[in-house]
Amino acid sequence: MSSDLFKYNDEREAASAAKVRALEALLIEKGVIGSDSVDAVLDHFEKIAGPFNGARIVARAWVDPAYKQRLLADTPRAIAELQLPLGMEGAEGEHMAAVANGPGVHNLIICTLCSCYPWPVLGLPPYWYKDPVFRARGVREPRAVLREFGVPISEHTEVKVWDSSAQIRWFVVPERPANTDGFSEEQLAALVAPEAMMGVAVVSPPAMA
Amino acid sequence: MKLQHVLGGLENLGPVNLEARVFVQEWEKRIFGIHTVMMAESAHLAEALPRYPMASLPTTFQHTWTWASLRTGAESMQPFEYFKFRYYEKWLMGISQFFVDEGYITAQELGWWTAHYRVQPDAPLPDRPSEPIKRQVVDYLLRGDSGLRPLPHAPRFTLGQTVQVADPAAADHTRLPGYLRNKKGTVREVYPGAFEYFCSTGPDGLEGPMPVYRVAFDASDIWGPKLCEPNTTIYADLFEVYLQSRTTENEEKTP
Repeated sequence: MSSDLFKYNDEREAASAAKVRALEALLIEKGVIGSDSVDAVLDHFEKIAGPFNGARIVARAWVDPAYKQRLLADTPRAIAELQLPLGMEGAEGEHMAAVANGPGVHNLIICTLCSCYPWPVLGLPPYWYKDPVFRARGVREPRAVLREFGVPISEHTEVKVWDSSAQIRWFVVPERPANTDGFSEEQLAALVAPEAMMGVAVVSPPAMA
Repeated sequence: MKLQHVLGGLENLGPVNLEARVFVQEWEKRIFGIHTVMMAESAHLAEALPRYPMASLPTTFQHTWTWASLRTGAESMQPFEYFKFRYYEKWLMGISQFFVDEGYITAQELGWWTAHYRVQPDAPLPDRPSEPIKRQVVDYLLRGDSGLRPLPHAPRFTLGQTVQVADPAAADHTRLPGYLRNKKGTVREVYPGAFEYFCSTGPDGLEGPMPVYRVAFDASDIWGPKLCEPNTTIYADLFEVYLQSRTTENEEKTP
């Protein structure tokens, strides 16, 4: 089972940790990279690119139906309307497109050949997205896969699977949950996890106070 | 044909992994970061749409390094090995081998330094920051590397047209999901402009800019109506060279 991949002994992890540190040290020594280069990458995914952007886009689409239509028609232009960090058309977001769940349709994003993912709005892909089992089964039996994620889909609902294989990086606008009338965009955004924006989760109504 | 090219549709793999963390070990962040710095230092970025000033970048890195480099490496792995290693373990193997193969470092010194950090995991890295490289890394992440190019010819296929996916020679690297080979689909969007992939894929067919299409497939046309889940559509963005006109193909097959 693939979950065995997380039960490596400490020895194997320590060996990888030492090797990657050795590699980084050597690349610094040889002038290939600077000692602050890797941190610059990681910093970008803390502050600029991440699922916090996607959640804000989804929240705006929920409160403004006209915005949602613009988002689906021309995703980059609609994203540019929001006050998000610069770089939303940067690496792995040069060409993004949104698709919306709704009554009778559920979308699932996948990359069967590798792990294409819309970095600026969702950050880096979670492990499940990169795992070969998801990539193999997601196109063959998406409903079975979604059940394993806890998302049963009626056979009357069309499942649309988007296999990212060229320039477009897809993401999903999930359905707005019940019991959120009067929520601010900020409160709504806090409900949206990356999984919902890839189609393997629905957004749950907030827990009752 | 490589297993990695036909991963979509493979059965008997057991339950999906629900792990939602991006990095399951701290060390994984570092190899992801190294790969991304390499992409930001890649020689080909001198020709990218943002025209990055690569000639003046103070790095000894002289290669082109893109997603295609990493993917080609992953696709060349022995298939059983491919399943044995976790995602970033494969990156660490491929990237460190690249630096050894290309002479940037030797296997011997990598072994020596690895042993050093094995004994002293908290020993510091060399302290040699580089403001210009840091700026280029940030600039690359913010501005990207779009493959959008002017159309070299009018798109061969039109919206709504039924097309058949080609079955090109299996090469080292492809952007054609294998389970779509020879399948019938419908063009749902002709993307404006043309797109150039990072490299030629040789006999596989990617070479220079070409139109890209969003093609819809009825899942039952791929897996067969009896074995297929109901009411399912699969969309893929496919470079033009991977598509054929359905009628032409049928005529060719007629003896």
